[in-house]
Amino acid sequence: MKNGQQAIRVTVARKAFPPVADRPEQLVLSGVDLAVEEGSFVVLTGPSGCGKSTLLNIVAGLDKDYSGKLEFGHRDARLSFMFQTPRLLPWRTVEQNIRYVLDDDDADADAKVAAILERVGLSASANAYPERLSLGMQRRAALARAFVVEPDILLMDEPFVSLDDPSADSLRALLIELWNRRPTTVLFVTHDRIEAVMLATRLVRLGGTPAGIVQDSEVKLSPTERLDREKVLAARLRLFENA
Amino acid sequence: MALDHHTIATGRVGRGIIGSVLSGRLVWTLVSFLSLLALWALVAGLLQSRLFPGPIDVSAKFMTEAASGELGHHVGVTLLRVAAAFFVAMFIGSAIGIALGRAKGADQFFDTWLIFFLNLPALVTIILCYVWFGLTEMAAVLAVTINKIPNVAVTVREGARSLSRDLTEMAEIYRFGTWKTLRHVTLPQLAPFIAAAARGGLALVWKIVLVVELLGRPDGVGRQLYDGFQLFDVSMILAYAIAFILVVQFIELAVLQPIEARVNRWRR
Repeated sequence: MKNGQQAIRVTVARKAFPPVADRPEQLVLSGVDLAVEEGSFVVLTGPSGCGKSTLLNIVAGLDKDYSGKLEFGHRDARLSFMFQTPRLLPWRTVEQNIRYVLDDDDADADAKVAAILERVGLSASANAYPERLSLGMQRRAALARAFVVEPDILLMDEPFVSLDDPSADSLRALLIELWNRRPTTVLFVTHDRIEAVMLATRLVRLGGTPAGIVQDSEVKLSPTERLDREKVLAARLRLFENA
Repeated sequence: MALDHHTIATGRVGRGIIGSVLSGRLVWTLVSFLSLLALWALVAGLLQSRLFPGPIDVSAKFMTEAASGELGHHVGVTLLRVAAAFFVAMFIGSAIGIALGRAKGADQFFDTWLIFFLNLPALVTIILCYVWFGLTEMAAVLAVTINKIPNVAVTVREGARSLSRDLTEMAEIYRFGTWKTLRHVTLPQLAPFIAAAARGGLALVWKIVLVVELLGRPDGVGRQLYDGFQLFDVSMILAYAIAFILVVQFIELAVLQPIEARVNRWRR
């Protein structure tokens, strides 16, 4: 892992949603230029509906209808995307859901799947169908799926919303643990400021209509400080003072 | 904990089948079947007509036909035609349905064609196929297939229109590729629609195959029914009809239902 190298460079000169019925064209993003350093954990934040998820979808390559440019540091960078909803295949077991994202000719697939299931605490549910599990457990499976491919870039779109606090906290702790074990470049979208400060090494705030980058700050907290509520709250006040 | 869940769920299914069979379903089927048989015997006994044979005459005919190998031969031939027409129609019809459900332009363009073929009477297709391609096996199966394809296409198209975009995006991100996406993402979503098309389709194919055989084949159940009609041999007509019903029921119970149960395992 080499730091200092660019993992993602995305410029969006203009992104608009086409007119629908009687609603005119909606300009969402304008003049966005974001370079993400390899190995950094970048949190994208801003008011709901400002275009954070749109930017993430552009980086993911799911939205190609914009004017701008997208480049990755790696040629053929391997992406993972943890969506707002788990998006597991309901007709396949948890284990199959994770296995299918690996290449068919991956000889270590069995070992990789078993190891990641163990790590996220789903070994006992390997053969269960996703809809029989709680939302928290489904999210764990989605997290396992995102990490099992050993991605160069991990994209996350408010992956911990609509969970109760203890479940969200334990998933966040799990994410930090997985990320420490296998650091990768993360682009994480959230509107939860506490979550943003807890996770980010760099905080990018979008704002305005159409949205652009209004703030870009480093978050200098040690791993232990991130688990300290006082420290996190203090950092939040500092980072969001002119928000 | 989830393992327990799974075991319990499987256990429930197991008990469900055995339980329902023991506690009445089989008994009711039997009672219902026997009373139909009794009614038939009663009416036949009252009428005393060669044109309305009772269950005993019909089963005697059934036995002689079965013993001579005639019955097995004709039912087998019909079954092969049904299978060929059914699988070809399901495959082509599903492919057309998926394509039309995914591509809006193609759907708008081909919609009229589909309506035309949907409303084309089966008899017309059969006659035209025999006229154009001769009284051949290929023409027979083709006629049935052409009758069936539009029904499958229309049903599967409904499913393809409502495919989840969320899961398609997921498959794209995780590089599933065409084959994996089709197998694990698209087809499971279409399964209920394909099952509906298969069920309705099988019932349709059975009936059309008999007409095809009657009009232009030297063998098969349809041909035997025609011979029975020519000879006014009602026992033969009923014997073949019953053989036919037995085969259809067997396929329903031994093939279709287990497949459906397996495909729907994941549902809560």
